[in-house]
Amino acid sequence: MRYPHVHRVTAVAVTIGVTALSLAACSSPAKPGPGSSSQLSGTLNASGSTFQLTFQQAAIQTFKSVQPSITVNYGGGGSGKGRTDLSSGTVGFAGSDSPIPSDEMSNFKGKTVLYFPVIIGPITVSYNLSGHTSLKMTPTVIADIFQGKITKWNDPAIAQINPGAKLPSTPITIARRSDSSGTTANFSLFLQDAVPSVWKLGSSSTINWPASSRGGDGNGGVAQIIKSTPGAIGYVDYADAKASGLTYASVQNAAGDYIAPSVAGATAAAQQATVASNLTFAAVWAHNSSTAYPITYQSWDLVFAKQSSKKTADLLKAYLGYLLGNGQQLLTSLSYAPLPANIDAKAKAQLSKITS
Amino acid sequence: MSTVTQDHQAAPPSALSQRRPLGDRSFQTLALAAGLLVLVILVLIAVSTSQQASSWFSHEGTKIFSKTWNPAAGQFGALSFIYGTAITALIAIVLSVPVSLGIALLLTEVVPRRWSRPIVSVIDLLAVVPSVVWGLWGILVFAPWIQHIYASIGSGVTGVPVLGPLFGAPTSGASFFTAGIILAFMITPIITSLSREVIATVPSIDREGAYALGATRLEMIRGVVMPHSQGGIVGAVLLGLGRAMGETIAVALVIGASATITPHLFAPGYNMPSVIANEFGEATGVFRAGLMGLGVLLFVFTIILNVVARWIVARSARRGRGA
Amino acid sequence: MAAVSTGQPKADLREPASWRRTKNRITTVLMVLSLVVVIIPLGFVLYTVIAKGASAISWSFLTSSIPPSVLPVGIGGIGPAVVGTLEITGLATVMAVPLGILGAIYLNEYGGRGPLARFIGVMADVMTGVPSIVMGLFIYSIWVLHFGYSGLAGAFALGALMLPIVIRSTDEMLRLVPDSLREGSYALGATKARVTLTVVLPAAVGGIVSGALLAVARAAGETAPLLFTILAVTSVNTNVFSGPNTSLPSQIFANASSPYVGAQGRGWGAALTLIAIAFILMIVARVITARFAKYTR
Repeated sequence: MRYPHVHRVTAVAVTIGVTALSLAACSSPAKPGPGSSSQLSGTLNASGSTFQLTFQQAAIQTFKSVQPSITVNYGGGGSGKGRTDLSSGTVGFAGSDSPIPSDEMSNFKGKTVLYFPVIIGPITVSYNLSGHTSLKMTPTVIADIFQGKITKWNDPAIAQINPGAKLPSTPITIARRSDSSGTTANFSLFLQDAVPSVWKLGSSSTINWPASSRGGDGNGGVAQIIKSTPGAIGYVDYADAKASGLTYASVQNAAGDYIAPSVAGATAAAQQATVASNLTFAAVWAHNSSTAYPITYQSWDLVFAKQSSKKTADLLKAYLGYLLGNGQQLLTSLSYAPLPANIDAKAKAQLSKITS
Repeated sequence: MSTVTQDHQAAPPSALSQRRPLGDRSFQTLALAAGLLVLVILVLIAVSTSQQASSWFSHEGTKIFSKTWNPAAGQFGALSFIYGTAITALIAIVLSVPVSLGIALLLTEVVPRRWSRPIVSVIDLLAVVPSVVWGLWGILVFAPWIQHIYASIGSGVTGVPVLGPLFGAPTSGASFFTAGIILAFMITPIITSLSREVIATVPSIDREGAYALGATRLEMIRGVVMPHSQGGIVGAVLLGLGRAMGETIAVALVIGASATITPHLFAPGYNMPSVIANEFGEATGVFRAGLMGLGVLLFVFTIILNVVARWIVARSARRGRGA
Repeated sequence: MAAVSTGQPKADLREPASWRRTKNRITTVLMVLSLVVVIIPLGFVLYTVIAKGASAISWSFLTSSIPPSVLPVGIGGIGPAVVGTLEITGLATVMAVPLGILGAIYLNEYGGRGPLARFIGVMADVMTGVPSIVMGLFIYSIWVLHFGYSGLAGAFALGALMLPIVIRSTDEMLRLVPDSLREGSYALGATKARVTLTVVLPAAVGGIVSGALLAVARAAGETAPLLFTILAVTSVNTNVFSGPNTSLPSQIFANASSPYVGAQGRGWGAALTLIAIAFILMIVARVITARFAKYTR
């Protein structure tokens, strides 16, 4: 050997390299349990609505005791992100609080998307004003606050519906979403349905908010802004608002009553909704119910009807079936409302439409 | 940026190697390939990101520099982000440069050799804190705390001619100014260490000459150090500026996510890297191309800044040696 | 100049006028003040991270899976993020360090003062200034769009970030190796490759390793390049080549926007872990330079 030194060095380097790479690459897939033919295994990735996030995280944990070899990842990121990830094939299902808007339809290239409603819940109007724990709001006042027309807490419009509350002159800081959000879409839909002559910013996943407003990432981000900023007001889903310890307002509904956000109020609102054949519906601004909470919304898990492999189709049916079945029992303890029975039944029947 | 310039081109005697062995030639090719990789990567960055951004350029045409960024309405004008990037970087530079120069001069002129090691360690420690930790601390601890200071200043200057629009109420802890402060913390180590290197090249003769003439330290600095190093320091500042423009995560967490052009420094704002970080995940079509386009703009700006900075430094180093 | 002892006040001619002295003193005070101005936030940050993170840290914190954000500190941990950071940063190091050393060898040993080498040198310096988010967008455009999210894509992005840093620090170290070593080897009949590999590199290895460690510390703390390349998930992925992954900085970023005290607490714990890793790497680099680097500036 002419260059033993070089050969030795090369050999050592190659060994180290191969060891490092193989350590990095070695994966240990979970082996399915012995003798259980209904046990599936695999990974399911999902992203989207942060409204669903707390529910998904809890369901993923309890699902592990039903199907220990299935790993589900729910990444959150907002309804817009979910729909984008679904259209690009990055995820198996997407959480979305609103149906696919017309300007995004082209991303789905004509493939059929199935909507599986999974949760109902209130959107709270949460605020941070020490000493005031039970303020009332009307849709008009909410619209004016979020359009920047009402800028201080002691504005006469707020004082008028809250007689007896000594409101301070603290400036109002608007907290809203910086990402594309189904919560935003439904909140703005509520304002558009309730007071169309007052609310001028339209209804969409992203709104042209006043320049002085602060953007937060996800429902959690907005909750964090409200929590840390005296005088802040924003829209946060009930589960996140309650878990963060926020104070929320009672909102006047279509019947004229001031209703505080609650599971019961959301259920009452959902029962008034008209469900389309593809299982889309809108629970905001429910009519014909005096107990309905007016800013109630819903969320779906979107799936392509035609899957690329039987395995993915089975994983989806297993997990979505769980969400529609036993998973619904997790909802009330997490401060969501379960689906009304008829909607749940229709959704379960739709599971068979997932094919490969 | 070492000032040592040895040329290691000593070659083996030609009698032994009419044709160099294969191993030797292939090693040289390998080394050349690794070097070229730098160029290849830079070119690929430019090409691939521009290509991804092309639908934005064609969709907006000259309106890419318009004020309105409203994805829902299909409008993608980038001016508010360019403004935010410029303002936060400017605030960072204004806050950081005096401090960095002060520390650099402290290390080179005032402090005895023995004490410079711990101070340099402190600066290194400042440099090693990751951006995301600055952001975490910034949004959870710093912003709520400084909001009180902003509020006091704001209520004090509202209505005053120049200060009012800049610092008046309403104020927000997450704002242009907070992002600028955090950026200042992050770029100080760079500007300090680069300035130090430049100042260290001042010939001792000139320093001692000034002292011999009876100059105080301040006068020596102004008369000898500054004229000699000003090019290098300008270069260092430009490099810090480039870094401030590109810093993403810390800014994304504390800037407030509001796309607006306003002189109001205590208001929530937005800049190019943070809007890309926050909204890329969910963007499609022209929106995504627009965010890519912002990335292209960022790339171009920072490359230009870096090239100009290094040219200024090299030119002043040449002058300094010649003198 | 000797003081003339005629009763005149001493030190008149040698001391600067009091106004100049005052300006000088003020300047010195300002310089010290600027150091203080920098130490205070640094101390504040470190104190906060240690105070809030220490209560979360434990062995189970570093190895347990990531729980739902709502749950308090004490349940679950950041295990997947630790695994992800080690895998992805490790892979990036394996790719970037050898290439960076080779690149610096080209610049120093082969390229010399030729125009190409000087151009590459300038471009390598310029590349250190490219924002990390642009690296992420770049890898997204050429890799993720075709091959999906993976730890490998994240490693590419981090590697691209590390490459110019390694080239630059290795280049400096190689310059410091005296020519006499090289010439002695050539005189003995060695080829250039052999000289470089067996004489020059070992002589500079201390400085090269410590420079590489600092690049690793920088890469471990980066979040932006990973944003669009690994699709931060919360489950552990031991396969770095396929499937989405997570990392410590990604988790901290996600937890920073959370309103839940538990998630924030885990964020602080992860921040403490990350700073500890970077700090240890920095100390090791210093020790190596002090004890093993034969040639320093």
